[in-house]
Amino acid sequence: MKLQATIAGLELAVEVRRHGEVVMATIDGREYQLEAAHQSGSSVLLRTSGGKMFDCRVEGKALSGETVDVFVGPRHYAVTLTDPKRLRSMGAAGGHADGTARIIAPMPGKVVRVMVEQGAHVEAGAGVIVVEAMKMQNEIKAPKAGVVVTLNATVGATVNGGDVLAVIE
Amino acid sequence: MFHKILIANRGEIAVRIIRACRDLHISPVAVYSESDAGALHVRMADEAHCIGPAASSESYLRVAAILDAAKRAQADAIHPGYGFLAENGEFARAVREAGITFIGPTPEAMEVMGSKTNARRAAIDAGAPVVPGTTEALQSYDEARDAATKFGYPVMLKAAAGGGGKGMRQVARESELRSALEAAQSEAASAFGNSDVYLEKVVERPRHIEIQIFADTHGNYVHLGERECSIQRRHQKVIEECPSPLNDSDLRRRMGEAAIKIARAVSYVGAGTVEFLFSNVTRDFYFLEMNTRLQVEHPVTELVTGFDLVREQINVAAGQPLSFTQEDVRWHGHAIECRVYAEDPDNSFFPSPGQITYLRVPTGPGIRDDSGVSEGDEVSIHYDPLISKLAAWGRTRAEAIDRLRRALDEYAVGGIKTTLPFFRDIVRDDEFIDAKLDTGFISRFNERRQRGTGVPPVSAHAQDARATQQDIAVIAAALAYTEKQSTLLTNHRGPQSKWKIAGREAALAASRMRNGK
Repeated sequence: MKLQATIAGLELAVEVRRHGEVVMATIDGREYQLEAAHQSGSSVLLRTSGGKMFDCRVEGKALSGETVDVFVGPRHYAVTLTDPKRLRSMGAAGGHADGTARIIAPMPGKVVRVMVEQGAHVEAGAGVIVVEAMKMQNEIKAPKAGVVVTLNATVGATVNGGDVLAVIE
Repeated sequence: MFHKILIANRGEIAVRIIRACRDLHISPVAVYSESDAGALHVRMADEAHCIGPAASSESYLRVAAILDAAKRAQADAIHPGYGFLAENGEFARAVREAGITFIGPTPEAMEVMGSKTNARRAAIDAGAPVVPGTTEALQSYDEARDAATKFGYPVMLKAAAGGGGKGMRQVARESELRSALEAAQSEAASAFGNSDVYLEKVVERPRHIEIQIFADTHGNYVHLGERECSIQRRHQKVIEECPSPLNDSDLRRRMGEAAIKIARAVSYVGAGTVEFLFSNVTRDFYFLEMNTRLQVEHPVTELVTGFDLVREQINVAAGQPLSFTQEDVRWHGHAIECRVYAEDPDNSFFPSPGQITYLRVPTGPGIRDDSGVSEGDEVSIHYDPLISKLAAWGRTRAEAIDRLRRALDEYAVGGIKTTLPFFRDIVRDDEFIDAKLDTGFISRFNERRQRGTGVPPVSAHAQDARATQQDIAVIAAALAYTEKQSTLLTNHRGPQSKWKIAGREAALAASRMRNGK
């Protein structure tokens, strides 16, 4: 999900993808791969692959255009997120419901598995491609049901964040 | 000894008194307003009586309602805590007349100390130093000039009917006196309808230092040393320490003796505090006022002396002699307390009422937290915004600061704003660490805080860590956002729950079976 964030007077481009406990994020080009554990209510524990822990708490309405209070340990940050999709309409989430959905590499890595063939039919939520980065394997799922019309990924290939790996129609 | 003590208060101090009751096998009785029915002090008591609606004027300040509750509970003593009715002579008298013991001084002693001019006179009679000044209004410029020359510049002109800084003028030299006097008089006239102005010597770079005293009904008087309370915001104490970083045993002895003299002058009984102004320039001290009750900041004295002041108050009220003599009083180590308020330090300290949605209270070596709330509690708009007092003890002041910094960083309160971030900055401030204290500390600190100076220069490594932390904050917010979106989406799609689907299938199967029979 691509968002715009304002924090401490800075405008940042944010991209966050979550696959189960694995969170991949790009903040103004800085890439993070994190493990999100013990999410309960407003708090979540984020862990980097290097083992750094961040005890986070989010207070307030996490809605587009609203400012939330984020605590990372004792530090407080006011963060405002804007979702460009929210500016248009609801229902666009999870890809284009009646159009095509692109499967994008969330971060640089290596393709370790391709679970579909070109022309195959996939269900929404089915695993399509597995990309390995920072010693963690991340399964990228189909955002919608449809036919795999394009497949740009082969096992062992190195991909960049933002690359289109597959298109489902 | 008493069987039941009614606590005519709420919040952290009610909880504190309940704890002393438990130690002494006394049954604690709480009172509460309608909005406090589920409050921590109510849950911790053996019994609790509602004394009226939320507004304190209709509950915690209602003498008749409290006495009625005490009679219903058959309490044999009442502890007033601090604030509310604690320094109300009429309340103490009504309690006494109802045949119940008031845990505190006599109403007569309270009433003398309750009036600034009477208290000043009592201090002068007892031979304690007071800020030199004219006690009567100045009649002419000549009289003002003579008084100023006698006390020495700088002097302060003050409106006799004053308050809030109106009609006040500081005068540095004689050439400024005439115009300052005229300005103060006209300002006093327009603000209070009374142009009377008097003159006092200015105590330069004053510290606020107070002496804890204790007396019993057998004529024993002791002092428990000083507390440094110079860190104040709008005349409200924010951080208190014991001992003062001055840590001057001769000064402590002289101030202690002066405080005891004043207490003796009014035949004081129980715990009391004599407040002094201390000049960093001349090192003289002057009587300010006496508080005839337990102080908010009593824990720092307890941590350093080892005495339980509330337990001692109860023993003394029950007629027992003090459990220690002056020679028994020793000061060990250093303690610092922060008053954690439900106020927003980044928005002019506006009150921040609301529900405490998350609470993690620090503990560990040298840490004491006196709190009146638990997670889920509502911080009401009706009462003082103090939610807890966080105190740290160490062998030295530096060790106490290390522990306090650690505890402040551990402390997490969700749902409302608190003064915790403000304290986290103070304990990292060089002037605070170097104990450069006087009553102007907070205004200087606020300037440093706004300019962003005073914060120690950050290493490149620490800067990287901060930048990462900022990105993590954005990620946490984005995760909360995606979470919210997916729940919204699920709700939009209507009944998608597998439980519902399974339930419907089971119901269908059951009906098929019934139809089949």
